[in-house]
Amino acid sequence: MRKWLGLALVVALVAAPAMGQALKGKVAVVLDVGGRGDLSFNDMGFKGTDEAARDFGLQMVEVQSATAADYLPNLRNLARTGQYDLIICVGFLLGDALAQAAQEFPQQKFAIIDSVVDAPNVMSIVFRENEMSALVGALGALAAAHYGYPNVGVVLGIEIPVLYHFEAGYRFGIDWGNKRAAEVLGTNPVGLLYTYTGSFSDIALGKAATEAMLAQGAVAVYNVAGPLGIGDLEAITEYHRNKGTEFGPPYYFGVDANQDWMGLGKHGLASGMKRVDVGCYSAVEAVVNGTFTGGIISLGLAEGGVGISKYQDLLDFIEFAVGAGAMKAEDRDQTIANWLANRATIPGWIWEAVDELEAGILAGTIVVPTADTVEEMRAVRAQYTLGAP
Amino acid sequence: MTAHEARSGGRLLRGAHRTLTGLHPVLESVLAAVLGLLVGALLMYIWGYDPWRAYWALFRGAYGGSYEIASSIARGVPLIFTALTFSICVRAGMFNIGAEGQMYVGAAAAVCVAYFKLPPGLHLLVGIAFAAIAGAIWSLGPALLKLTRGVNEVISTIMFNWISRFLVFYLVAYVLVDARQGQRTVQVPVSARFPILVRGTDLSYSVFLAVAFALFVYFLLWHTATGYEVRAAGLNPTAARYGGISINRTILLSFALGGVGAGLAGAATTMGLPPTYAIISGLPELMNLGFDGMAVAMMGRNHPIGILVAALFFGGLNAGGRVMQFYGSNPVPLEMVRVVMGAIVIAMAIPELVRVFPAIARSVRRLGGVFRRDRATEREGA
Repeated sequence: MRKWLGLALVVALVAAPAMGQALKGKVAVVLDVGGRGDLSFNDMGFKGTDEAARDFGLQMVEVQSATAADYLPNLRNLARTGQYDLIICVGFLLGDALAQAAQEFPQQKFAIIDSVVDAPNVMSIVFRENEMSALVGALGALAAAHYGYPNVGVVLGIEIPVLYHFEAGYRFGIDWGNKRAAEVLGTNPVGLLYTYTGSFSDIALGKAATEAMLAQGAVAVYNVAGPLGIGDLEAITEYHRNKGTEFGPPYYFGVDANQDWMGLGKHGLASGMKRVDVGCYSAVEAVVNGTFTGGIISLGLAEGGVGISKYQDLLDFIEFAVGAGAMKAEDRDQTIANWLANRATIPGWIWEAVDELEAGILAGTIVVPTADTVEEMRAVRAQYTLGAP
Repeated sequence: MTAHEARSGGRLLRGAHRTLTGLHPVLESVLAAVLGLLVGALLMYIWGYDPWRAYWALFRGAYGGSYEIASSIARGVPLIFTALTFSICVRAGMFNIGAEGQMYVGAAAAVCVAYFKLPPGLHLLVGIAFAAIAGAIWSLGPALLKLTRGVNEVISTIMFNWISRFLVFYLVAYVLVDARQGQRTVQVPVSARFPILVRGTDLSYSVFLAVAFALFVYFLLWHTATGYEVRAAGLNPTAARYGGISINRTILLSFALGGVGAGLAGAATTMGLPPTYAIISGLPELMNLGFDGMAVAMMGRNHPIGILVAALFFGGLNAGGRVMQFYGSNPVPLEMVRVVMGAIVIAMAIPELVRVFPAIARSVRRLGGVFRRDRATEREGA
């Protein structure tokens, strides 16, 4: 009798964790005050989770935050129900709240995009933005050399570690492009103009910063400030209108999503894409496959987590924009034609050079520097001064 | 609008006013709430959501248990302060729209406690005092402009809100910023935080400060000579002046006291709201607390006790609104939740709006007079 009891106990012990793995069938995605409708970071978080939920037969709920005071209550409300296989926090700003919630609900699995929360039940998904920013930087430097512009620009948001990844990679890429341009064209190195606007939302700041850079001969401006980029693109569009030019420099470099389609694809030469959707999808996938673990998941070029925009990305995100009502379906063909015409203003050897840099990073023969702290950023700035005294 | 139309519109409102004020205030509020809920239900029904399930989620999320009730109260705490800011000035006959800006300044002042060490308790008190003083000082701008130059307080407080907003943006980004976490200011140290009252919720001891401040305002306005003067000046400034009341004094007092309230709202948020205990760049945790306070003041009939009840209700709407977003198989998205909340809040504010309408109309007419006079002088100048 006792033997049977012991056996039953062993079976129960073995079975228990397996039963714990059974899915409850629901995932939640929590957004910060930025909310939906940005056609970029937040919408991609939604899109990736939604696609994963559909593919794996889960129900998805989306919880937005009206104010920052809602972050922690939203996470607690969801975790308390115990009905969610995974709660995904989209955005760095939710980090503080998640650190607290993860500690209060150790049984709940969480994932967060863009922030590192050190807890065994949190999968922290970060991106190697330095890698795709290097490609964008190389493209910018080579375009400047080709057209005889003295500078390339970047408009950044608030000075947070995530943005240092972009700046470090961009600097490296420009430097790489300068060296290549010197070999091929024998031109002098181009400089970098950069501004931290201190905001992700004030479009007027983005426009003003871009106008200042265009006045100093920037061949392109890279938007590293989310919605602020609308202001960057506005400034570039106005510049072209005043000059009476349709395509060619100055160009706009988009960020996070593929933003090449914006403004009917006339000035968006390329985007440094950070596939938040891929991050969210892989987090859900990990839970479904039972491979979820706490810790840092770093997504770069090799994992398809970041990249420089290609033709297929343009098509995908045009559908995304049309679906969200941000673009008219009848503008599709015109946008593609514009984009192709604009891309044709960059000679083939430059595109090949960018591909070569990408291959080098993928093969590991080229290592792009990054920075997480002010000190590390200073070191990168000192190494790649790019025209600064 | 012609003068005749304005008159007949006024008569209509006065008629509605007389009918409604015949009712008991509580019954009136209940009727208004039912009306608001019906409008919200209709809107949800039209857009294909199930109003019953949604309201069930709202109710459960707001008052379904001790966790929910604590969350609702926590959401209402800063609004008690900002509502009092508005109400004190309404009682004194003015429309102070400046709680928002005074609150930002108060929050920034409270964060300054991070730069020195004091024993727990005392540290908290110093932070509270900083915020109260900063809020009061900020409110003096519009008050003095009104006293010395006759500037309409509606205009000046709105402008001061913008000045405050960008001033605090600047302070957050460049002065109070945490060098390691550029997206926020330095954190209020543990010794200066309001302790959490209910574990696992946002509710901190700041609720006691809010209730104490409401009772203080009630006592001051209804049980002291000064309060009597403030209310008399609000009801009829000419008669009050004739009776020997210094209107300048009541204006200054009500603005300063209102500023203290708004400053405390900033303190309650930065020193009492987990988990950040700092001001985040863009002020996303403070934004609109001042304006929401005006809605709470209207719902609470501009009376301190009414405001306590209204803040619990408004906090409940917000806390329950969070739950509406994920409850059931066809949850209501945040945008719709806010539309429904707006309908309920507007309906709840109507009885008080009707009551203070004559005063608002007077203020607007005065403002119109100012512009007409300007235009007339311009014409003369030309």
